[in-house]
Amino acid sequence: MIRVLVADDEAMIRSAIAALLSLEDDIEVVAECANGLEAVDEAVRLTPDICLLDLEMPGLDGVEVAERLSRLVATRCIVVTRHARPGVLRRALASGVSGFLPKSRGADEVAEVIRRVYAGARYVDPEVAADALSDERSPLTERELDVLRAGRRGETTGQIARALSLAPGTVRNHVSTVLGKLHVATRQQAVLLAEERGWI
Amino acid sequence: MDAGTATSARRLARGITATWWYTASAIVFLELTLVLVTVAALAQTGAGPWAIGIVLAAGLLWWGATLVLLLQYRHRDDTAGTGPWRRIVLPLAIAVLYAVVGGVATGLWVVVGLAILQPLMLLNWPRGVRLRLVVAATVVLIGLWIVDQRTVTFDSVGQSSWWVLAMFAIMLPSMSVLSLWWWDVLITLDRARAAESRLGATQERLRVATDVHDLQGHHLQVIALQLELAERLMAKDSDAALEQIRLARTSVDEARQGTRDLALQFRSVPLRDEIANAVDLLRAAGTSAESSVDAAADAAPASVLGPVIRETTTNVLRHGGGSWARLSLTRAGDAWRYEISNDAAASTVESGDGSGLDGIARRAAEVGGTVEVDRGRSEFTVVVTVPEATR
Repeated sequence: MIRVLVADDEAMIRSAIAALLSLEDDIEVVAECANGLEAVDEAVRLTPDICLLDLEMPGLDGVEVAERLSRLVATRCIVVTRHARPGVLRRALASGVSGFLPKSRGADEVAEVIRRVYAGARYVDPEVAADALSDERSPLTERELDVLRAGRRGETTGQIARALSLAPGTVRNHVSTVLGKLHVATRQQAVLLAEERGWI
Repeated sequence: MDAGTATSARRLARGITATWWYTASAIVFLELTLVLVTVAALAQTGAGPWAIGIVLAAGLLWWGATLVLLLQYRHRDDTAGTGPWRRIVLPLAIAVLYAVVGGVATGLWVVVGLAILQPLMLLNWPRGVRLRLVVAATVVLIGLWIVDQRTVTFDSVGQSSWWVLAMFAIMLPSMSVLSLWWWDVLITLDRARAAESRLGATQERLRVATDVHDLQGHHLQVIALQLELAERLMAKDSDAALEQIRLARTSVDEARQGTRDLALQFRSVPLRDEIANAVDLLRAAGTSAESSVDAAADAAPASVLGPVIRETTTNVLRHGGGSWARLSLTRAGDAWRYEISNDAAASTVESGDGSGLDGIARRAAEVGGTVEVDRGRSEFTVVVTVPEATR
């Protein structure tokens, strides 16, 4: 039996997926969680073989849950999403997620992916990969992305400069380059755009 | 926004800036000439070096003050009015200073009038006010010159200089206003252009929304009917009901695929970016990946090679990535050669469903290209060659 934890904040989808997976002979759903933090706690308590995580959850998102779990328990994570934003796939792969699926896949296909991942393979859905490859390249340099990342919670220029050990003037220069490249007026807008595109 | 439009937008913005400086420098040049003509005329009529020096200094100060007003005008706003008084009070005070100094030194009212009226022309007046002001200013200056003619006696040497000065002074307000009006027209046109491109984007979005609505509406109706039929059939003929439910699921897939195609229709990235994205993803997956792309890769047939790049990269990603991967897109004679290879660890995990590779071979064959697959002992290589002419 493959022991599976299902985490999704939409109750209808969560229970339907869990019910459908339970119908498979070799899969047992051991936990159903409504948010990321609960998923982490349950996974640590139960050590399931596979965690099927929704990407869009309140608290921690699916990739963040997978990232935490990779340091806590021996379990494999599959992330499911409705909007397969390309940057997210990059983040997911980097944090050791074993499978990445769009939500549109049927439960039979999900079960198949669970078996493959359980057997040690990695599964990246072609549709997600195609989205990721046909994505617009980020026009920003690594340093500029660092500046946006360091300032994403509304930190001041001074705080960003301290965090990155840069001069405040340098940070301001980076920010004005970023605003020019992205055609936006404020740093806040630049952060939102970069988050939306999955660049940071 | 793609690189082309971004570049042309930047070029246009530079053009607008250049036009601003052209407009501003015309006004500034005329003003400076006027100050110098005043000083020269004073010198000609035999004023002392102190008087000349003070008038020159005040004149240059006045010139600087109008420059400040002019710079404020650049980013004007139709609704803002003349702006906060703090920003204009100093330049206007300097104008009064020059009016007093220039008026005392030359004894001419027209110099006083111009010194005060010209800065007023450069303020951001509400619509229509400036036209009335400039007409009034010109009339006042002509009047002042007539008064000067009567009260001041000119010697023969100074006469022509003062006439030049007066003509300049009378013309300057209207010429300045004409330049600013020209600038306003330009800015209005530029805003209209920006609005037009926004409108284009909005219309495009509306069109997509309509398409999505039609597509989803159609499929939802079909699905509803299929489910209704299944509901009715359930009791009498459960096999037929099951068949309807399966059909409904197919309809859902079709609707989803259709929506996705609609969204993808607006996405096309250059092959160079696609390969760079592939390398990024492979690196994120812990594979050391590198790529080499021909400088002229944008001319390669993206409609064929794009899906091939996606498919082969997905294959490498799916099968664990391996420890290294290499991608290259090069021109070989009159054909384009795309090659991707990775270490054998990946290909051994392969489940043997060559469906992806079959798809690639079919796509390449359609345009007269070839696919070679080399399952070596230590590496797995796919080479796709397509002739150049296909687009």
